[in-house]
Formats: sequence, structure tokens, C-alpha cells
Amino acid sequence: MKKRIKVLSGILAASLVMAGLAGCSGGQGSTQAGNGKITLRVGGWSSSPEEQAILDAQIAAFEKENPKIDVKFEPVVGDYLQKLQPMIASRTEPDIFYLDASVAPEFMDKGVIEPIDDYLKKNNVNLSDYEESAIKAFQWKGKTYGLPKDYNTLALFYNKEMLDQAGVKPPTNWSELKDAAKKLTKDGVVGFSMSAELPRYQPFLMQAGGSVYDGEKATFAKPENATAIDFIYGDMMKKENIAAYPKTLGKDWSGDAFADGKAAMVVEGAWLIPHLAKKSPNLKYGIAELPVKEGGKPANMVFTVAYALSKNSKHKEEAMKLMAFLTGKEGQKFVVEKGLAMPTIKELGKDFTSKYPERTPFVKAVSYATPFQYGTIGVKLVDAGNKAAEAVLLGSKPDAKSALEEAQGKMTK
Amino acid sequence: MRSRGDMITGYLFVMPVVVSLAVFLIGPIFYAFYISFHEFSFLAPDQAKWIGLDNYVKLFQDPRFLKALKNTSFYSLGVVPVQICIALMLALIVDSKIKGKTFFRVVYFLPTVTSTVAVSVMFMYLFKSDGIVNLFLSHLGLPTHDWFGSIKFALPATMMMAIWTTVGQFMVIYLAGLQDIPTDLYEAAEVDGASPWQKFRFVTWPMLRPTTFFVLIMSIIGTFQVFDQVYVISKGEGGPQDATLTVVFYLYRTAFKDFDMGYASAMAFVLFLIILVLTFIQKKFFKEETA
Repeated sequence: MKKRIKVLSGILAASLVMAGLAGCSGGQGSTQAGNGKITLRVGGWSSSPEEQAILDAQIAAFEKENPKIDVKFEPVVGDYLQKLQPMIASRTEPDIFYLDASVAPEFMDKGVIEPIDDYLKKNNVNLSDYEESAIKAFQWKGKTYGLPKDYNTLALFYNKEMLDQAGVKPPTNWSELKDAAKKLTKDGVVGFSMSAELPRYQPFLMQAGGSVYDGEKATFAKPENATAIDFIYGDMMKKENIAAYPKTLGKDWSGDAFADGKAAMVVEGAWLIPHLAKKSPNLKYGIAELPVKEGGKPANMVFTVAYALSKNSKHKEEAMKLMAFLTGKEGQKFVVEKGLAMPTIKELGKDFTSKYPERTPFVKAVSYATPFQYGTIGVKLVDAGNKAAEAVLLGSKPDAKSALEEAQGKMTK
Repeated sequence: MRSRGDMITGYLFVMPVVVSLAVFLIGPIFYAFYISFHEFSFLAPDQAKWIGLDNYVKLFQDPRFLKALKNTSFYSLGVVPVQICIALMLALIVDSKIKGKTFFRVVYFLPTVTSTVAVSVMFMYLFKSDGIVNLFLSHLGLPTHDWFGSIKFALPATMMMAIWTTVGQFMVIYLAGLQDIPTDLYEAAEVDGASPWQKFRFVTWPMLRPTTFFVLIMSIIGTFQVFDQVYVISKGEGGPQDATLTVVFYLYRTAFKDFDMGYASAMAFVLFLIILVLTFIQKKFFKEETA
């Protein structure tokens, strides 16, 4: 009995000490080591080993050039925003950290992150070197708040074998898309699959002259907006059954439906490429620019992540140097090398397309793409947009017009 | 006689718990109550603005919150009674003198110790549009559904899962209650010529009253706080069309995705009040004879 109490109290003491340690270690900012070396903390979410390798290589290259600076990457496992918020509230966020364009306005608007304009010149950063739509996503009221590290856009992935068998060419406009989907739908395969989400249907919506955000408020109720939703979710999916959303096919996302040969064509970003290489290495597929509505203008989405500078960093100069390196020509060479996402430096885009010619559609698209970003109302807007498409698909609203009106109603409340 | 020294030692012993509870539980609760009267975001705590009862007023005009409340009530109303009935039945079965009852006890209890996320993922596979459940149904000639993707069936499917996972826990509690009932009561009933049903109706059931009260309260609290199943099944969206949006889930989204911690805190306190009132009503109803 006595022995047991001893063991128990030992465990208790140990856990108290550990709790104490854990409490402390969260609190330290960037530190100054004894030998005049400083440590910079980089925050981000944990991603695939391939993506991690890019960052590791970038950091190694930076440390080689700057022997006085140690760089430590602190990945967040789990919900990134959930962890980042308390860090910012307690002023212990990393010196520079990932910031997704979709949530950036909230951070810029609240003044949570440091504007970087004053540091640009010293670090030879020229904003015009960057893809305009990517850098624009991190500018707010005349100030710049981050440098985009890479980007992604959407393209049409098509199964080469299935298209050859059906004797169709990759579609370039809506009627060709519908035609191809009709011919490709057979033997348990649907011609086309796309999830019921705003960042998938928005390019089509914009091709038809629509828009969901005017820079201030949601514009779901615009009459032009209904065309694309009716066409994809109403006409192709619900009425004709020549397309399906991934869940109907028993898949989590259209990428899986494509990999498993359940859908002949899907709209996804370049992130699908490594997924396909792993899941279906023998699948022969092609990548094409999104089909454009007859008489409409091409449109696309750009998904981008930047590094933001902490307001509470004790080493802003050095942190900025690191940021400039990671997003600059030298740093983004590693991005080009791996080919997982596209480099945001325009010049490197050419290197990317010569190294991966089949991925050219992604680079082409960035010139006419809109950032996946809707001011500070993004979370609500995306949610309402997703639900509008879903409502048409599941039949809880008879057509796109009424679904979009409902979405608009949610935004004005 | 108690000496002063003993008292100090005593307080020292409870100190770690008292301090950690105060710092990590009671303190935050009061702070949350305080910020529920503010427009408060973790991103800029210093820009917090006192807005009085605005958050609470807004709540009851927010169609999504009302929808979440409706979903949660529906969930609780469906899960609690079924769960208690099955738990009691299982407890009665594994308490009887059947062969291999230890085996059955383990089997019924197993889902409870399995992580909710793992269970949710498993159910997602079972209920997929080309999953086993649909395969089974189609063999029987019954209509199939995309369970978690359908507005009508997403929540009921989640409820089934909740019942399956938590029933074991309540079974164990009932089992303990059953074993607490003195055997002489049953013997006396037998002497009086009571049938098995009468034994259950007039001995077992009344003697289980405190257990049932406890199980009912725990079950209601648990169902009103449902979060993780919904999070996994709807991939953090509460969909389709808010069909699986529950109060705690909406609260989470508001706090961490919408950056509105003040509004989320107000939600937490409304939920707290609802649970509190429900618990008081039950207490009255059961008139807790046994302390």
C-alpha cells in the first residue's frame, strides 16, 4: 500500500513538472543563443513529406548563406487557425508563418501582422516580379502584408484512355464538355465529376459573366450567376446524369473518383498530380485549361499561401531576410524542382513550364485567375456558396436562382 | 485531535488540484462569460469591445443557431431514450446466468473505449453510397441512400452511430446498479410468487432509479455536447445543408473559423443554461429519494 502511494505521488510529481515545462516552452519567442547566433521560428502546417522536403532544402540553403541565423520550422499538427489564434493572442507566434489567402484579410484588417513595405527595398524584393493575382491577395488598403510562397490554379484532368475509346477530344467549351461527358458516361463511369463547392464552380460562374463578391459584399443574387450552377449541378448532374459529385460515387473528393477510374474528367489543382502518382501510377491522363463558356472570357481561381511577418518578432530584419529568401528566386527554385505547386515569381514560371510542359495549363491560368479570397466575409461567403450548389444538387432548391437568393439572404443578415 | 499541522498538510494535498482547476477550468469559464458580452476575437484581444447583451440577442435571431439547436434537440431526443433502453437490456442480459457473459460484456463495452474519430471513419465506410450498408439493403430489395450526404439521413445515421458507441458505457453503469440490488429482495418476491416481469417491474426498476437518473443526466449532457462525430462525418462543414450542424459544432466554427470568440462564448453559455435547466427538471422529476 505504502509503495503504491509512493509510486502514485511520483507519477503526480512527474506530471506536474511536465505540465510546468510544457507551460513554459510555449512562451519563448525567438531566442538569442550565447554565440551571437539568433534563432528564427517559422510556423506552418504539417504537410506531405514531399512538401516538407522543399522547405527543408530552402532552410538549409538560407542557413548556409547566413551562418549567424538558425531557422526552426514549427509545424502545427491539427487545425492551424485554431492553434495560431491563441499564439497570436499571447504574442508567441513564430517570426514568420504561413497565411492562406482566404483568411488573410481578417489578419490584415485587424492589424495582427506587420506590413512589410518598409523592408522590401533593403532585401531587393520587387513586387512586380510576383504573379499579380498572387501578390494582390496579400495587399490591404495600400499596404503589403506577405509574400506568396507558391500558388495553385485549376485545370481539367482527363483520362486519356477513356477519351480515346469514346473518340472525344478534351473539351474547350461548355457544349463540348457536355457532349464529351455524355459520350464518356457508361459502364459505371461518369463523364465528369466536380464537388459542390464555390472554389470549383466559381470559374465557370465568372466565365458566364457572374461574380460572387464585389470587393465589399456578396453578390450571389446577380442574375448571371445562375447559368453555371444550373448547367453543372442542375443540367449535367441532376437531369442528365452524365456528371456526378464525388459523394455519389462514394468518394471523398473528385480526385479520388478520377484516380479510381470512376470519373473521366475532373476539375482540380496541381495537388492532384502527386496523389495520382501514388494512388494510380499507371493511369494515363492529360491536363487541359478549363473549358470556357461560348462567348465568355476564361476565368480561374488562384490558391496561394504567403509568409506573414509577426508583429511581435524580436528579429524583424532577419525574419524579413528569411522571408525574402524563401519566396525569392533562389528559394522558389526548389518549388520549381519538385513541381508540386507553381512558383509565384513570374520568371520562374517559364522554368516550370519547360521542366513540366504538361502542367502549362496551371501557369497559363494564373494570368486571368482571381484569388480565392472574399475580404473579411470569406468564411460565411464560401459556406453560403457551397450550400447553394449543394442545394441544387440535392434538390432542396428547385433551381440555381432560388438557391443563390437564399445564399444572398444569409450574407445580408 | 486535529492539529494545525494536519490541516496545513491537508490543504497542501488538495492544493495541486484546486490550483490547476482554478487556473485551467474555473478561471477560463469566468473569462468566457466576461467575453460573451464583447465583440472579441483572439486575433486582436486588445480591440475587444463591450456590446452588452448584443451577442445573446443576436443568437436568437440567427437562423443557423436555431437550426443547430433544433438539430441538437432532435439528436438528443432520439439518442437518449433508445440508448437507455438498449443499455438496460444489455445490462440485464449480461447480468443473467448465460454462458460467456464476460465475453459479451467486453464486446458491448468495446465501442466505448474506441476513439470516436476511428468509429466515425468506420461508419463513413459502412454508410458510403457504395458501402456495405447499401449493398445489404439492395440485396434485400430496399432503397439505398447516400446516408451522410443526404439531408434527410445524415443526422439519423449519426445518431445510430452515437447509440452504438456509447451504449456500452451506460450498460456498465446499469450493471453496477443491478449488482447493488440485494438478492433477498428477489427471494422475497419469489416467495410471494412474482413472475419474472413482476420482479423486474417492482424490484429491479425501482431499485435502479438512482442509476437511471444518473444515466439520463449523463446521456442528455453528452448528447447536447455532441461534436466530434459530426466534425469527422461532415468534414468540418456540418453539412449537407446544415443537416448535421449541432450547437457545439457551430460554436467551434464561429470561434476558430469565423474569428468571433465573443459570439461563440455566448453560445456556450446558452447551451450551459439549457443543460442546467434540463438537469433541474429531471432532478425534480426523480425527486432523488436516495442521496
